[in-house]
This record gives sequence, structure tokens and C-alpha cells, in this order.
Amino acid sequence: MPSLKSIAYYTFHPSELRSIIQWTVWHMPVHERDPTKESKELQRCFYFLDKTSRSFSAVIKELNPELLVPVCLFYLVLRGLDTIEDDMTIPLDSKCPELRAFHERLYQDGWTYDGNHAKEKDRDLLLEFSVVVTEFKKIKEPYQVIIKDIAKRMGEGMAESCQRTEKNPDWAITIKDYEMYCHYVAGLVGEGLTRLFVESKLANPMLLQRPDLHESMGQFLQQVNIIRDIREDFDDKRRFWPKEVWSKYVDNFEDLIKPENKDAAMNCSSEMILLGLNRVPECLHYLAGIRDQSVFNFAAIPQSMAIATCELCFRNPTMFERNIKITKGAACQLMVDSSQNLQVLCDVFKRYVKLIHKKNDPRDPNFLQISIACGKIEQFIETIFPTQKPGQKKELADTKNLSPEEAAKKQKEKEEDKWDMIYMGIAVGATLLFVTLMMVVVAWFAGARFDLAFAHLYSTLTGGNAPGPYPEKGAEPSPAHGEL
Amino acid sequence: MAEEHILVTGGTGFVGGHILNSLIELHPEYKITVFDLPASGTWVPPREDIAYVQGDIREIKDVTRAVREARPTAVIHVAGIVPTGNDRYSQRKYLKEWVFKVNVEGTKNMLEAARNGGVRAFVFTASITMVTDDNGHDYPNFDETIVPTPSLIYGQSKVAAEALVLEANSLEMATCSIRPSVICGPGDYQLVSTIQRCIAKFETPWIIGDGDGLYDFTYVTNVADAHVLAVHNLLTTKTAAGEAFFITNGQPIPFRAFCLQIWAHFGHTPPFEVHIPKPIAWVAAYCAEWVTYFNGTEATLSRGSVKDYCQLAYANIDKARRILGYEPRVSLDVGLKTSCDELRERLKAKMKGL
Repeated sequence: MPSLKSIAYYTFHPSELRSIIQWTVWHMPVHERDPTKESKELQRCFYFLDKTSRSFSAVIKELNPELLVPVCLFYLVLRGLDTIEDDMTIPLDSKCPELRAFHERLYQDGWTYDGNHAKEKDRDLLLEFSVVVTEFKKIKEPYQVIIKDIAKRMGEGMAESCQRTEKNPDWAITIKDYEMYCHYVAGLVGEGLTRLFVESKLANPMLLQRPDLHESMGQFLQQVNIIRDIREDFDDKRRFWPKEVWSKYVDNFEDLIKPENKDAAMNCSSEMILLGLNRVPECLHYLAGIRDQSVFNFAAIPQSMAIATCELCFRNPTMFERNIKITKGAACQLMVDSSQNLQVLCDVFKRYVKLIHKKNDPRDPNFLQISIACGKIEQFIETIFPTQKPGQKKELADTKNLSPEEAAKKQKEKEEDKWDMIYMGIAVGATLLFVTLMMVVVAWFAGARFDLAFAHLYSTLTGGNAPGPYPEKGAEPSPAHGEL
Repeated sequence: MAEEHILVTGGTGFVGGHILNSLIELHPEYKITVFDLPASGTWVPPREDIAYVQGDIREIKDVTRAVREARPTAVIHVAGIVPTGNDRYSQRKYLKEWVFKVNVEGTKNMLEAARNGGVRAFVFTASITMVTDDNGHDYPNFDETIVPTPSLIYGQSKVAAEALVLEANSLEMATCSIRPSVICGPGDYQLVSTIQRCIAKFETPWIIGDGDGLYDFTYVTNVADAHVLAVHNLLTTKTAAGEAFFITNGQPIPFRAFCLQIWAHFGHTPPFEVHIPKPIAWVAAYCAEWVTYFNGTEATLSRGSVKDYCQLAYANIDKARRILGYEPRVSLDVGLKTSCDELRERLKAKMKGL
């Protein structure tokens, strides 16, 4: 049942309501999974997928059948790692070895984990992790190798960051530290997925030779999440914003949240957003290398959500007061637009970049750099999809393919057109002049006193004392218009 | 290898001066001679051994003498004139003759003297306005394949002059052309100061059109670097021979954003913003032109500047990156800050002088 507030909202935003209806009614999945052909364990895996992720489960379930199960299991493996890392009740000396050994668990039949606190939300997944192990061993071997490798490296990275956080909660000192963290939790996912896409021949193999591209895909998503969740993370006593950035604006991290530092906090957030925006051209470049519609949707939807979230957070002080989210209507519109093709997606990016540009404030020290980053995105899109605007010169194209005779003829026509215009102008002018003269003559015969009118006009223009048409009445100034 | 000797025409000017600095920095081994009109009293060569030959590029005998005396191995031909203010949009005949005399005749003279003097490399400073001076049309992300059809005098003169330069490319003398976009930097008396003056004139709140079309600006030292890379290329690998290159900062931004940043550097933010539709601005500009025609002042607003302001035009500089190895060393935000700081110092000095 929709709340009163949302009814009120959509009454005034009918286009968003339309998007919701469009998405829910008309959206046709590219592929649909068929639960009847699945084993009991696999059905259980999909149950956990639904339970642990709201946003990803829908796009994963529409993936090409070749990748459906591998990506679902990849997601659950990562979720398992994340559940161990996130749980602050697990002591460090058991948590770190567990994270480091996680990739080996994927081959231990019947492995489960019950070390999580009872309130940890995804505890059930680890309690029944054996279903993931069973299904994992059934998928093609190359996929297993990729997932295992990523799980190994991510476990390694997480263990390291846990140890660092234990020593110093302000571990994110430099931008490099911050990007390193994003690399472990998101950049690696990008790499794993890209390898799965290429392995299944659903993406251009060139993507593997440009690791910077899939790195940016992960970085952009993760960075936007970190920016948006500033308040929530702060309340949970977690800090991801690097000191190298915030120390330029405030003395202590806590000061970002204080309302009296609103301006400083805004400028700080725009520098964080700038770091993300610089990644966007590479993300679009990456998406150009995908060959399958379902994979494209899977990769593009989170990206378009991220640029919309960027725009939502940009110069928006509420992000420091409470958790903010794009509206459901906007999200549906984004899903519709991100499940077509790259050009439609680029239009979405252009739209949001223009909005960011509009909000940009010259008092912000990052003003010009934000402008440059937005310009770069626009230029990149222009490189892959050149526009033909009405403002652009057309004649050039027309005359290029003409023979000299045709060109001469065209020139002659143009010349004639020009003289036609001139003759017409003269004719209209002459007619007007004639009519005016006739009116003057008629007025003169009827007894109009032009001499007085001119004299009056002259006196009002110069402010002199030339005689007016009427004697002055009292102290009242004579009216400016001559009454004939 | 014989010592290279570069003759820089217009070397006492804004861009020419920065080219000297860049030459000294990137190729200290090069010998340098400057050819220019008699310089104002304040000009000092950036390095002691730089020779200075006075002369006028319009006079073939001046040019020939300069080449004969200096015996350069390469020429960077920067000298030229740029009609500014309302003259930029003027189509008056005497103006056209004057601009063509300097920019086209002058280049022709330089080319002839260089060829006769055994010069091996010839770099010409053209301008991006060859394309964008076709006022009122949009040019998103254009590259060197575009055929320039400018409607304003300056762009036309550069098209004519560049054609001469590129035609002159031969085995004996390699030529190429550098087409920079609008330039800012220390020594610029046009761009940044004109925009800065809008603050006092209460012209900052008005936005003509959407104000979001991207436009190219270039920091002057990057332009200078491009010239040096070009001359080095023509003296060595010659892969740039007979080619033209757009040179920008590779960071297109809206004209409005550029203005706002300058005003912000001078502590000003528009108190409010009003969008003026283009047709209304055009009519207002037309009236302003008449007013300024009668009282003899120079207005910021003219039909031409309205079109300039609304134009969307930015270049793709991949060709310069690929062939010249050009990469802007100074980012636009840093460059613009330097330009504003220099302007502030200059204004301060002027205040003291009064």
C-alpha cells in the first residue's frame, strides 16, 4: 500500500509514475530463468540471491543462461565474504584467517559457517553455504577458476584492511588508500565479471587488455556509494572518505556532519564527486565493448543509477543529515533507459551531467575542475556518437558532392533569390510610403495644422518654450501628444 | 649534427614570448633570433644571447635581410594581427585589406625569404577561428578533416595564409600549421581582462541562451609547447610535414563557466542569474551597437559577441597528441588561476601608477 506521502509525490510527478508503470508492466526480460529445471540446491541459491540483494537479483536473473548461474554464485561468494568482514563481533584473530581461506571453502563439501552474530542480516547464507559449494562445483571449470581467484584476492585485501582499521580507524589517509580499498571491494568484482563475460564470449576480449576500464566501472559504483552513505557510515563509526580530501575543508572528520560547516562539507563532497566523475568516460568506454543485451543491462543499470546518485548528492546538504536515495520513479526511468543500447544510455549520462553543470557553484574551489570533468564526459560521448545539430553547417555537405555546373547553377539561383528579396522589399516600402503620403495629403485638405504639431513636438523634445498648440491651462504641463 | 637556429617572428608579443620560453626550456641547445616590429621599451630577451632583428613582415626586403643575417635553420612564424573588440565582427573593406596585408602577404614574404635562405622547417601559427569564425554554427568535437569556411575577416586571412604555408611544404623545407584556440595567460590583454571588466559594468548576471555549450580555451604555455614540438618534429622525423593541428587544452567547458571562474577569482559571484533568450539578446546587441556607434565607446555586447557566447565549438586534439606528442602540461584550472593572478598584479600596478 503506497504511503500518503508517495501518493502526494507522484501526483505532482506524473512522469515518474509513468516510468514505474512502464517498467513494471512493459518490461520484457531478455532471458528468464526456469526454476523447474533447477536442482533443489540451485533454487536455494536463488532464494538467497533474492534475500541478500534487492537491486542486483533482478538484473542477475535476466542474464544470459550461459552466465546466469556463475554470476549468481559469484555474487553469493562475495556476499559471504562481505558478511564475515562486516561482522564486528568476530574477533580479528579468527576473522582474518577465515577471510584468507574463504576461496578454499568453495571446494569443501558441506562447508558452513556459524561464527556470525545472531543479528547479522545475511547470517543464514553462511549457515547454509553448502548449497553454494554444491552448485559451484557443477559450473564450467574456467568460471570456477575466475571466481576462486577473485575470492582469494578479495579475502586477502579484506583481511589486510581489517587489520589496518583495527590499528587506526582513520586508515584512509590518502586518495590512493581510498582507491585501494575501492579496488578490493569493487574493482576486483569488475575484473571477475569482465573475465566471465569474455570467457563466455559475450564481451569483446579487448576489455581484458584494458584493466583500467573495468577498474573504473567498479571504482565509480563504489565511490558513489561511499559518498551517498556518508551519514549512515558515520553513525556506524565507519570512515571511508580519505583524509587527504576532507582535511582541506575541515579540521576533524566529525565537523563534516555539523550544520555550521555546511559550506565546507559541500565543497568537500564535490571534490569526492569529482574523483568519481573522472571515471565516467572509461565506464562508457567499457560498456561499448559488451556484445550481449542481457550483459549490457546488467552492467549499465548500476552505472546509470550511480550517475543519477552523483547528481542527487552534488551540492545537496541533506546527504549529511540523512541517507538520501533517488526516487523509485527516477530509478524505473533509469532502468528503462539503461536496458536499450549505449546511445540511449549516453543520453542519460548527458542529461545528468548537464544537471550537475547547472548546480555547479563558482564559490566552490572545485568549480572549474567539475566543469572540466563534465566537459570531458560530453566530449567522450560526442566522440562515440557524433551529433548532427541543426546549428551545424549544412550547405557544406550539399555543395561538396556537386559538379561545377551544378554548383554554378546553385550559385545563380542564390543570386536570383537575393534580388527577389530586394525587389520585394522595395515594393513593400514604396507601397507604405505612398499610403502614408496619401493620408498626409487627405489630412492637410481636411485642415490639419502640421506646423503647430511639429512645433509642439519640437518643444517637448527639446524642453524649450516654442509655442504649443494650446495656451497653457494653469500650472498643468501640456500633454505630450499633439492633439490634431 | 649542425646547430639548429630558430627565427621566431612576433617574438616580442604574447604568444611569441612564451614560445621563446618554451624553446629555452625544452631545447636549450637551439640558437634563437627574434624578428619583430620595433618593440616597446620594456621588452627584454628571456635569454641574453637571443638576437633581435627589427623589421616589418609586410616588407619583403626587411624579411629577406633578417633571414640573410641570421641564417636560421627553422622559422616559427607567429607575427600577425588579430582585430579585436567590435572590429572582430566587422566586414569593412579597409580592415580586410589591412588584415590580409599583414597575415597573408606577411606570411607569403616569410615563406619566400625562408625558402631562399635555405630554411629546413617552417611552423605557422594559424588559429582555431579558421573554423569557429563561422559565427552562428555549432561545431562539436571537430577534427582536422573539417573544411574551414569562416565568415569573419580574421579567420579568412588565416585560411588563406595557412594554404600558402602548407602548399610550400617540400623536401627542402618542411612546413606545418598550428591552430590554437582562444588563449589565456600572462601577457594576454584581451580575454581575461575583458571578462573581468564585466564585474564593474554589472554584466555578470545575464546569461544569453542556455549558456551550456562547450568551448575551448588554451593556456598559453601549452600553445608554446606545441610550436616547439612541431619545429622539433619538422627538423627530425618530419611526420608533421604538410599537416595542420588543432591545439587546445583538451578541456572544453561552457563559456559561462570560464567567466564565472574568473569572476570568482576576483571575489565576485553574480547576485542572481537571468537567462536571456538568444533573439532578445540579438536585438539588444543591435541597439547597443548603434549606441556605441554614436558615442564612440566599445561595448561588450554586439551581435557578434552574442553569437560567440552562444556558440558550441570544441576540437578533438588527438591528431596533435598522436603526431606531435602534444599533451597540455598546464591544466586549465591552474592556468586560469595564474592568468587571473597576473591580471590582478597588473591592475594593482596600474592603480599605483595613477
